[in-house]
Amino acid sequence: MNTDSGETPAASGSLKKRLRRDLARVPLLAWLWGAMAAVVLERFCGPQLADLLGLPKVPVLFGFLIILKQPLLIPSTVVFITLIYGLPILLVSRLLARPANRLAAFLLQGPLAVSVLIHLAFFYGTLHLWSDMSAYRVLTLKLTLIAVMLTLSLNVINGYMGEFSCSHPAFMALGAYAASVMTLAFFAKDKQFGEALLPTALGPFMFPLVLVVAGAVAAIGALVIAIPSFRTRGDYLAIISLAFLFIVKSLIENLEWLGGPRGLSSQPNYASLPTVFAWATACIWIINNFVRSTLGKALNAVRDDEIAADAMTVDTRRTKMVAFLFGAFWAGVAGGLFAHVLRYVNPGSFGLQNLAEVLAMVYFGGLNSVYGSIVGAVSLSLLGEALRPLELFKWIIIPLMLILVMIFRPTGLIAFREFDVRKLVQPKLNPDHEV
Amino acid sequence: MTFFLQNLVNALQWGSFYALIALGYSMVYGILMLFNFAHGDIFMVGAYIGFGVATGLTALAAMGMLALPNWVILVLTILISMFLTSFVGILVERLGYRPLRDAPRASAAITGLMIGIILETGNLALLGARRVSFPSLIDSVTYNFGGVYVTNKKIMIVAVSLALMAALHQFVSRTKWGMAMRAMAFDYVVVPLMGVPLNTIAALTFAIGSALAAAAGILFGVAYPVLDPYMGIVFGWKAFVAAILGGRGSIMGATLAGFLLGFIEIFVAMIFPSTLRDLIAYSIILLILVFRPHGFFGEAYSARLRL
Amino acid sequence: MALLQVDHMTHFFGGLRAVHDYNLSLEAGQIRGLIGPNGAGKTTVFNLLTGIHTPTEGHIHLDGQEITGKPPHRIASLGLARTFQNLCLWRHMTVLEHVKMARYSRISYGLIGAFFGTPKRHREEAAIEAKAHTLLQLVGIDHLADQVVVNLPYGAQRRVELARALAIEPKVLFLDEPTAGMNPEELVQMMEIIRRVHAEFDLAIYLIEHRLKMVMELCEVIQTLVFGEVVAEGPPEEIQTNPVVIEAYLGKEGVESSC
Ligand SMILES: Nc1ncnc2c1ncn2[C@@H]1O[C@H](COP(=O)(O)OP(=O)(O)OP(=O)(O)O)[C@@H](O)[C@H]1O
Ligand SMILES: [Mg+2]
Repeated sequence: MNTDSGETPAASGSLKKRLRRDLARVPLLAWLWGAMAAVVLERFCGPQLADLLGLPKVPVLFGFLIILKQPLLIPSTVVFITLIYGLPILLVSRLLARPANRLAAFLLQGPLAVSVLIHLAFFYGTLHLWSDMSAYRVLTLKLTLIAVMLTLSLNVINGYMGEFSCSHPAFMALGAYAASVMTLAFFAKDKQFGEALLPTALGPFMFPLVLVVAGAVAAIGALVIAIPSFRTRGDYLAIISLAFLFIVKSLIENLEWLGGPRGLSSQPNYASLPTVFAWATACIWIINNFVRSTLGKALNAVRDDEIAADAMTVDTRRTKMVAFLFGAFWAGVAGGLFAHVLRYVNPGSFGLQNLAEVLAMVYFGGLNSVYGSIVGAVSLSLLGEALRPLELFKWIIIPLMLILVMIFRPTGLIAFREFDVRKLVQPKLNPDHEV
Repeated sequence: MTFFLQNLVNALQWGSFYALIALGYSMVYGILMLFNFAHGDIFMVGAYIGFGVATGLTALAAMGMLALPNWVILVLTILISMFLTSFVGILVERLGYRPLRDAPRASAAITGLMIGIILETGNLALLGARRVSFPSLIDSVTYNFGGVYVTNKKIMIVAVSLALMAALHQFVSRTKWGMAMRAMAFDYVVVPLMGVPLNTIAALTFAIGSALAAAAGILFGVAYPVLDPYMGIVFGWKAFVAAILGGRGSIMGATLAGFLLGFIEIFVAMIFPSTLRDLIAYSIILLILVFRPHGFFGEAYSARLRL
Repeated sequence: MALLQVDHMTHFFGGLRAVHDYNLSLEAGQIRGLIGPNGAGKTTVFNLLTGIHTPTEGHIHLDGQEITGKPPHRIASLGLARTFQNLCLWRHMTVLEHVKMARYSRISYGLIGAFFGTPKRHREEAAIEAKAHTLLQLVGIDHLADQVVVNLPYGAQRRVELARALAIEPKVLFLDEPTAGMNPEELVQMMEIIRRVHAEFDLAIYLIEHRLKMVMELCEVIQTLVFGEVVAEGPPEEIQTNPVVIEAYLGKEGVESSC
């Protein structure tokens, strides 16, 4: 804790304390409302304010891009962000804390699902309004959500299960190609697969099925690694999965009907923001369910002491297989979404670079933690975007940051934390002794 | 037959790069039970240092300040670059691995990866994206041995590699430090108790591995005189796979598997379309590993990625 | 046939004959002891019977069913639970999670339940949790249920192991030096717990122990193992006076008390 030096420590201390106490009483719902208010404000007053402050346009990514590109505009950007985001969020969420708490408490009397869905609706609304301002925001948001899925699914294997898998990009590639082939062959006319085999109008409705099949394809690929790997203990999986990554990549490069090194393009535009959001939410929900069940906790037991797990009736091999295929499945789904977000895939997108990125997100955010994966994926994705103006130096700053995190918190920022949805959405009536 | 012999010669050259790099992976693994994932990029850095040294020396020679024949310059380049690159290795150990000695092994793998990225990007930032060409220090002479064409460069590359491997062998089996290294590889826990400082040994191992990688980089520059900042990725990962194939921690294994990988790649490329090279090579490796999980010379071991 | 019947079991580690021609018939409800000097092969016997190693020769029957060569988790779910001499706990998990984990093989909600959080799963998890709390109360550490095990004192960790083994609902319980490293007070408590557990669940217990006083007090029959071979078997009084045992084992009192 940094106590303010100089001035009147007592007064500023108590002010800070008060602020903290006040904010501790703000439930998630109120924060969402605050964010929504800010986004609405930006929509209606953003352009004018930007004009007034001499900014060329509304800062697209919280001003990071502008700050790095045109340092002279830093003051105006800071003012803009404070006026549009900072103050409204603080004010609205503080003012609405009381009704929000009441509503949250009321909602929790019903089933948890209802409460969660309502929170999600507000959250999605905020994201939608925010991203609606520019195509760049939509794309960044979609890719971030996909990164969350990838990170989380890799965390199941590398964090919860404690193995070291390098084949996540390969699973993603399998999913991306499987999904692309299906949509291109069945629902679109293109140069690779010719006429659509099924009515095009059916496409969007079949897309969930396509993604599930894409995930299944990735899981089948994972089986190839899992069968030999889980016979042996140790970091055998790391090596086998690395070889698998190279094999899948060069296999795709060599298959002409998959477009070879050029890849596949003009996938139909099925991966809208709501679709991606829904899948990312489903992914978080299902994975979180899994890792919090006793069946899922068996992964931790296998990781921490496999012999003890075995002696306590845990079928270790089955546990590992299930988790590995499960992780691969979600990587495949994420790959399928990725292909339809970019509407273009080639083998080059699924290489060692991609591996380094996903690994970085997992280990930065924190092992064995759903929170950690979300934080890791979101922060590194956004940071990657924000530092884009620095070009090359981005690839020095991010690795350096990660090295520091590894040195000071070797398991990542938010490791070994349970993601308890009920706690997240409950009212914050009495911060001193939380329920 | 000549076809086979011709490819054998090519494979020997190609394999010596892998073998030299794989040695570094394997030695570090032997000591720390960790893979130095920055090693591929150390190879790249070594090649660039070699490029710098060679360019500098030839410039001096051209200005008449250094009256040396080209082959001496090459030898000097190799020695100086090996020396300089070993400090890169020591630095990597000091900054990326030593602080994480007690951390989960996966965390150290991540720092290694990140240091690799920093090295690549740093190079790119310093020298720009253009590829640089390695000064040609010796003129290519081709000998014809009954239909098999062998260049003097190839002979030189294979000979230098073998000499370095022999020197390494002598070092680990004859000198005090080398024996300490082997002892450490045998038992990580006991040796520090016997008064051999783990940190020094670890640094020494990184230094030697990096020096060998630098030699590989320069030899590579002699054979294929175009360098680019990402050359370490492909070579590094492949040599890593060779180190595994040889058996983790085994110097002998890494050497043989490096050459084997060279053979597989060259012969696959001869028989099949060259785009299939990686596919087939890795599939073969995968199969070998499925049936020999610990590689050729590796012992069954049960180190876990501890969290 | 006895509840746990072992016939002519022999095991080699490479060239080392760790166990030779070992026989056992453990009856339901019986408490038996296994003693022997360090390195005699006692833990190896446990490892063989629980499936961690497969015996080179011999047959093991549990409740009339052959279990030789079965994987440990199968043997455990058939009703053979154990604790470990050197504490094999899961360092990142809480006490409660440890005990719940041992119910793994009886969980019926399956992957669907795990993925989608079905009502069946919630009911089942709640039932397991209640059961786990009961067991934790039995061994006296229910107040530590939400602690991560690495933060616990040694004695409590041993109790976690015991509660975890009991959660399997075993017919036979193996205890590998359950009081190692405990102070006299904890020792008395542990003996008390073992008695209580035995009475409550009608278990057969097989106990490895270095503290002879405890073995003599608890066990009906004691086997003595030296260099992998049973040199004496019988009730405590007989073992205490057996010259072979005294020579091989009791004579080394000094060694025992030093560890
Ligand atoms: N996995 C193994 N591989 C090789 N040898 C082993 C293995 N496990 C045990 N041994 C050897 O078998 C012998 C018996 O060991 P064991 O642990 O069963 O003795 P113990 O009677 O339990 O001794 P203690 O009283 O110290 O616990 C020892 O010589 C030991 O070194
Ligand atoms: Mg023992």
